[in-house]
Amino acid sequence: MAKLGRRALVLLVACLSMFVIGACGGDDDNGGGGGGGAAKEGGSVTIAQTSQPDYLDPALSYTVNGWEPLSTVYSGLIGYKRANGQAGSQLIPVLAEDLPKVSKDGTVYELTLRKGLKYSDGTPVKASDFEHTIQRVLNLESGGSAFFLGIKGAEDYVKNAKAEADIPGIETDNKTGKVTITLNGPDGTFTNVLAMPFATLVPGDTPFKNLTKDPPPGVGQYKITQSVPNRQFVMEKNKLWPSDIPDDPPAKIDKITTLIVKNAAKQAQDVISGKLDYMQDPPPADIKPEVKAKYSDRYREVTTASTYYFFMNTRVPPFDDPKVREAVNWGIDKPGLARIFAGEVTPGCSFLPPGMPGYDEDIDVKDCPFGDPNKPPDLEKARQMIKDAGVDGMDVTVWSNNDDPSDKVGEAYADMLTKMGFNAKPKILDGGVYFQTIGNQKTKAQTGFANWFQDFPHPKNFMFLVDGASIQPTNNQNFGNVDDPEITKAIAELNKEPEITDEVAAKWKDLNDKLVERAWIAPYGHRKLATFFSERMDFDNCSNFSPVWNNDYARWCLK
Amino acid sequence: MATEPATETTLQGPAAWEAEAEREHVHGLGPWKLGLRRLRRNKVALLFGFLFVLLVLSCVLAPVWADKVAKTTANANHLSDVITVDGKEKNVVGLDGVPIGPQWWKADGKFFLGADRNGRDIMVRLLYGGRNSLEIGIVAAVITTILSIILGLVAGYFRGVADTVIRALLDVMWSFPVIILGVALGVALALGGLTIGPIKLAGDSLAIPIFIIGLVYVPYMARPVRGQVLSLREKEFVEAARAQGAGPIRIMFTEVMPNLASTVIVFFTLLIANAILLESALSFLGAGVQPPNPSWGTMIDEGVDRIATAPHLAIVPGIMLVLTVLSLNVFGDGVRDALDPRAKVRLER
Repeated sequence: MAKLGRRALVLLVACLSMFVIGACGGDDDNGGGGGGGAAKEGGSVTIAQTSQPDYLDPALSYTVNGWEPLSTVYSGLIGYKRANGQAGSQLIPVLAEDLPKVSKDGTVYELTLRKGLKYSDGTPVKASDFEHTIQRVLNLESGGSAFFLGIKGAEDYVKNAKAEADIPGIETDNKTGKVTITLNGPDGTFTNVLAMPFATLVPGDTPFKNLTKDPPPGVGQYKITQSVPNRQFVMEKNKLWPSDIPDDPPAKIDKITTLIVKNAAKQAQDVISGKLDYMQDPPPADIKPEVKAKYSDRYREVTTASTYYFFMNTRVPPFDDPKVREAVNWGIDKPGLARIFAGEVTPGCSFLPPGMPGYDEDIDVKDCPFGDPNKPPDLEKARQMIKDAGVDGMDVTVWSNNDDPSDKVGEAYADMLTKMGFNAKPKILDGGVYFQTIGNQKTKAQTGFANWFQDFPHPKNFMFLVDGASIQPTNNQNFGNVDDPEITKAIAELNKEPEITDEVAAKWKDLNDKLVERAWIAPYGHRKLATFFSERMDFDNCSNFSPVWNNDYARWCLK
Repeated sequence: MATEPATETTLQGPAAWEAEAEREHVHGLGPWKLGLRRLRRNKVALLFGFLFVLLVLSCVLAPVWADKVAKTTANANHLSDVITVDGKEKNVVGLDGVPIGPQWWKADGKFFLGADRNGRDIMVRLLYGGRNSLEIGIVAAVITTILSIILGLVAGYFRGVADTVIRALLDVMWSFPVIILGVALGVALALGGLTIGPIKLAGDSLAIPIFIIGLVYVPYMARPVRGQVLSLREKEFVEAARAQGAGPIRIMFTEVMPNLASTVIVFFTLLIANAILLESALSFLGAGVQPPNPSWGTMIDEGVDRIATAPHLAIVPGIMLVLTVLSLNVFGDGVRDALDPRAKVRLER
């Protein structure tokens, strides 16, 4: 006992010493890492994501985590030019010979499959694979289903719930490679829809189930050779990728290993030291100044067409009351939330983001109906409105996920709602299951974190999140179940327009303004993302930030 | 806790105490008074006991610090707030997202240890976190003790089928590593909460980690209790009670249980320490105390993200944890030596 007592005393003194050392804080500069070399083909890289992609199945994935890698594994008839900035928004034929021939009334799309294409496992690509691809999207109740319900017979296909049933609006001819798609009505976004990952081709015998653990073969620069959910997945160069597709050449890196690393600070330190070659999320706030100062030659921030907002479930109290939703818009601290994002989020009020046709800069800032988003909120007004609505003291669960900084945002939002008069508590889920959970009607999520990065440069892509016609029981992306008949009708009408003229853009702008004024959602800003490479990556020549896919793995190369 | 080798006896050690006890017994001191006397002579154990009391007191007084000094609550965010430090205004959380560092007394005690990324006062969260960690540890230890005594008594006294069934149950629970069982239960219950008949617990209730920790440690105490009961039931005083017509329940509570007291007391102190450690581990892994409620484990988890630039965020709650567990362990050892110097009771891993 006496010896133990002396040892304990020594340990006590050691602990107190550590307290003094720890309280002083200090930087820990790990310096740069890795070696240099000439730009080259080949090599392997290791990268990190903060959470497992929602799915590694192209029919189902609907997050940046999933689309960044999958955009190099699967290709559709149509795709986007692999170029930096706005040039990357240009639609190009990928597995099709040409862009679609669209009938005068805008309802019939004709494409022809290129000849000689093979999936990564050697299976020949057939025209009929397109119908099977769309059947999987609809049958699995994918978050992207709503985009294809405009195909003739698609709604009946969903109602009948028979996986192998025919969709009359899709006709294919395997001999000629012809694919003909007939829509119920004109859809100005349909060519963009054909370029979404949901429409990327998979073999005709791909099962009707979630294949995240064993992803199906695709036609892409890479193929997934290993998938251990929540640990890692590995992509290797697909030698069967055709080399003659303009604006979509083969990849240079041979192998990409993606690790799931929860700790963003560790990811940043590993990129600095060279243990990792890329991190999908930006470095955390307290490491960013060091990164910007010392590693600016391999770090870049990019403004994205994105909106960060809180959904409010209009089917569940208290958010079924429009006055309560207005009160929330008055009470959220937008500049405060921007600080959680370390300045990466620009406070704003508009649902459509900057750069999107229909974006209203006035309503985003100076004419925001709920006060200047760069100034503190009117908490008193919010409190009074909530009291008048008779819901003060009500229990509210705020949903968010544990990807940094979404968890902090969730906790901050819960605190804001508490200050407004609710009894709000955050519920933080794993990032890999978050959107599926809040998108399931059974969850009855009251309110929570949401964000949207454009799938394609068209306002419909954002407005579908608040379109009553896109509500579905699972994988619902209209988390707030927004169902405003006037807005839904306007979306349907504007969607028919074959192109976005100034007049059409003005109408989208009016619609955006109505949406904001009616407080169906609570937007708080638009985000910048970043590209941060290790020393061995060729940042100057081989880093591409696509407005659709974000960082383009297919353009990477080593020095 | 790892098993320890038997300590050498010294003049101050257990053998000397035993000899003294023999002498003092002649003067009519009961075993409890004797134990107290031995404990009082163990200055190191008393020191650590006092340290534990100090830690508990500081956490109990968390509302006083929060209300009178820091003037905030554990969960209040101060993202856009500004404080005055040495006459200058400072953002609690900067525009670049970096929160204010330790201010000590420069801002009249506000943000004494600084703020976290949500602008919450770390000192306030440290004290409230301690309350949560201690509450969970102590209540869980009470639950474990009660369940262990019941199961150990029944299994050890009745033997036969009861013993077989209880032992099998304990063996199944014992076979799961405590952390893995705790995480599995914690994650499962955090989302939907727990409903047992009329009892409904929300997913963020402290009762969930209390229930989980209280349950997973039962085999660690129930087995030694059972062993002691098996030995005690053969003693003459138990036979005498049977001969006088006492029923099994009466014998268990009036003859056997009092003789378990010293074992139980020692286990209890050591259990609290282990329960606090397990709670911190579960909270660190996201399966214990749920946000926004603080605990030392969640604070260490949050601090790890900023270990390079603000190491005190992880180190300070870590030190509080070490001091608490250490003081409990040392004090618990002192109590064990005081009550029964020959005791070979250990809380094995």
